[in-house]
Amino acid sequence: MKLRFPALMMLVIIFISMLAACGDASTLTPQATQGQSTTAPAATATEAPATGSTDATAEPTAAATTDTGSTSSDGKVFLTVSDQQQSTWVRNFNPFASDNRWPTAAGIYEPMFIYNIATGKIEPWLATEWAWNSDNTELTFTIRDGVKWSDGEAFSSKDVAYTLNLMKDNEKLQGNGRAAMRFIDTVTADGNKVVVKFKEVSTIALYDIGHQMIVPEHIWSKIADPVTFTNETPIATGPFTEIIRFQDQIWELGKNPNYWQAGKPYIDGIRQPAYPSNDAANLATINGENDLASNFIPDVEKTYVAKDPENNHYWFPPVNAPVMLLLNTTKAPFNDPNVRKAISMGFDRQQITEIATYSYNSPSDATGLPESFADWKNPEAVAAGDWVKFDVEKANAMLDAAGLTRGPDGIRVLPDGKPMTYDINVVSGWTDWVTTDEIIAESLKEIGINATTRTYDFSAWFDKVQKGEFDMSIGWSNNAPTPLQFYRGLMSGETADTPIGEANGDNWHRYGNPKVDELYSQFVKTSDPAEQKKIMNEIQMIFVQEAPAIPIMPNIYWGEYNTKRFTNFPNEENPYVLLSSFAQPDRLILLTNIKPK
Amino acid sequence: MRFLLRRLGFYAVAAWVSLTVNFYLPRLMPGDPASAIFARFQGKLRPEEIDSLRKAYGLSDAPLLEQYGTYLKSLSRGEFGISINFFPAPVTTVISTGFMWTILLAGLATVISFFLGNVLGIIGAWRRNGILDSVAPPLLTFIGAFPYFFLAMIALYFLAFQAGWFPLRHAYSDALSVNWGSLTFIKSVVSHMILPAGCIVLASIGGWMLGMRNTMVGILSEDYITMAQAKGLSQKRIMFSYAARNALLPNVTSFGMALGFVLSGSLLTEIIFAYPGLGYLLLQAVRNLDYPLMQGLFLMITFAVLGANLLVDILYVWLDPRTRR
Repeated sequence: MKLRFPALMMLVIIFISMLAACGDASTLTPQATQGQSTTAPAATATEAPATGSTDATAEPTAAATTDTGSTSSDGKVFLTVSDQQQSTWVRNFNPFASDNRWPTAAGIYEPMFIYNIATGKIEPWLATEWAWNSDNTELTFTIRDGVKWSDGEAFSSKDVAYTLNLMKDNEKLQGNGRAAMRFIDTVTADGNKVVVKFKEVSTIALYDIGHQMIVPEHIWSKIADPVTFTNETPIATGPFTEIIRFQDQIWELGKNPNYWQAGKPYIDGIRQPAYPSNDAANLATINGENDLASNFIPDVEKTYVAKDPENNHYWFPPVNAPVMLLLNTTKAPFNDPNVRKAISMGFDRQQITEIATYSYNSPSDATGLPESFADWKNPEAVAAGDWVKFDVEKANAMLDAAGLTRGPDGIRVLPDGKPMTYDINVVSGWTDWVTTDEIIAESLKEIGINATTRTYDFSAWFDKVQKGEFDMSIGWSNNAPTPLQFYRGLMSGETADTPIGEANGDNWHRYGNPKVDELYSQFVKTSDPAEQKKIMNEIQMIFVQEAPAIPIMPNIYWGEYNTKRFTNFPNEENPYVLLSSFAQPDRLILLTNIKPK
Repeated sequence: MRFLLRRLGFYAVAAWVSLTVNFYLPRLMPGDPASAIFARFQGKLRPEEIDSLRKAYGLSDAPLLEQYGTYLKSLSRGEFGISINFFPAPVTTVISTGFMWTILLAGLATVISFFLGNVLGIIGAWRRNGILDSVAPPLLTFIGAFPYFFLAMIALYFLAFQAGWFPLRHAYSDALSVNWGSLTFIKSVVSHMILPAGCIVLASIGGWMLGMRNTMVGILSEDYITMAQAKGLSQKRIMFSYAARNALLPNVTSFGMALGFVLSGSLLTEIIFAYPGLGYLLLQAVRNLDYPLMQGLFLMITFAVLGANLLVDILYVWLDPRTRR
């Protein structure tokens, strides 16, 4: 014992210093902020230099022991996908649960339509058409003919009505339709039509209802408690429904024998190995073992594409809602729009995209809308939003005009004598965010604000941000089929008055504007696209004038693919759908279009 | 017998303390589990859905003391509750997915390390200042100073990724099904275990060797060894039955404790090698404030350590007659 104890202490000390070192060398061990981040110490392997001898297939041992090629023992063609970081799989295909295996909502069960983020279009799926009545109190879906459940039973409008009613009656069930439930009065099936009657008009509920995964009534009506049901053998309408094998470290999903799209899917199934970290997943992707992955890979050209330029490809479209700099608008001086705009002008977005995200994306404009909302964008608002341009001189002038004079040390002082010294909160380990944070903090010194990067563990960061207990923080924003949720999440009067210390789902900086609330209620009452666009133009203008929160850059949908065994993946030339699994249910379109070579 | 009974009483108290700590510690962390799940979707879930999550998880606002009572009650019935992160899978199901692999990896690695370390220590002390004695202890202590996961990353990168001698991940080939009767499967398990187990052994063997060697050196100068030599007993018998049996005692004591350290160290090693054990589960549970899963895992680890110590105590009674009364 005498000897072991100091040895142990040493181990602990080295361990801690190692972890600290890992944190410092953040740019070398980046992790994605999109849905999958890891706090595990990063393996050096992700930045593997391209030293010739690592082609796995050429090496007998690697090939023999990691036999994860496309063909399984019976000669079927399986797509190997890296998704959902887990060390072991729990068998759960319940579409109403939060932790189901990803194909549950993107391959097994299907919605009535799919809003395709990549094209901005709605693609009919289990429903062929839908229409509002004249005063938008009734929404009617026409259900597709000839669809069968994987057990051979016919799919009908009754299943749709059953699913929606099930969710309406049991508020513990989660799903895309949840947000619409509070507006719905009744849901009834009539022939091949489903009629949804609203007690409160909300036309954006269309997207929530349309995206809800539909379950078979003849199975689910016999389930005692759908909340805790793990649904180990799903019966569904999707392209892949058969669980071929399910082991702790790998599982395989096969074709639906009764799929309604003739000839599709082209591939025999999906194979999903368990990778407990980004690094483990990237190692496999770089090694050519994954056909499709949606992980963040640092310096992807060098680490991935260069290893096999013919087959290794990536597509990182920056079309997700932007990363924001949030300023707590309940506190002075952040309640002054001019101060918010000046801060926004105090840092260089171009520099941030180049350093923090390897130029994978480009800066946001003042509306904050990503390119996927190009049709919604108000050019006037974009032009009026000069406060996203890097302009230290103008920023300084605006802060001077706001009465924030510089103290003797160059730091500006509030009228009450408090110096402008703030922390910018960020999640530790989310390296692109941390780098962004550091660049902003450094730049703000030029305009007399003493800002410091402050990293928190994820749950601590989220606790602070949702309770409004921060001055400045990096944060994400809402993403939905219309820009409405994005703006609503940043300037809704309903959530602005939540006291500091109480949690808010969004609007963490607590900005409210009665004009926006008014426009919001107008928007959800109309189903006329031209009218909606007009209202959205006004909302954008308010956002640009008020700068309630500061957009930095759009988030990226990560996606890598290997064309050694499969073709017809989407990319920049053929952007028919996103690669990333974070885009659900878009993946149904992807999985029904990939072809074996 | 009284010795064992007293030990049992001690273990009961230790178990209760760890149960209580398991309950309170996770709840001291900032944040709440529903927000953590909500946040995982980063703006994709509507604020409306967070209430639905809270209701589904049955998160309670009752005072902590009351929750503690419920927790003890359900534990006494053997109920660990439903995992929040893996909702709606019960904690026992979640843990059972990785339990066997962690026990296999950590258990085997500890036993190998203990056995090898002690044999090396015995030989080192017997041939004092020989090559083994002068090279192995400093070298192994040096390697032992690295954290397990560091060795693991180096081994993974050079031996598995660059050289391709070993598989990159998992406990067996993905092409196989779990079948302990099949030789191919067992071979696959062994080849997948060499690197992770090797790293744990390499990192922990130095302590055993050094401990054994030093005690051995002291014991070899005792009179009864000289006596045994004088009697003309075989060298092997003196080395193992006379010296080593006595020198082993302190190391046996630390074996029980080492198991706990190895278990926690192997969790990190598992993550590096994507080994389907409990390591990543624990990380996820902590990150997502999954109280039931955290309690289940910590409980399992503390009970494994307590159990190992109890076994050691029993072994001790057998090894050292002085403790029998």
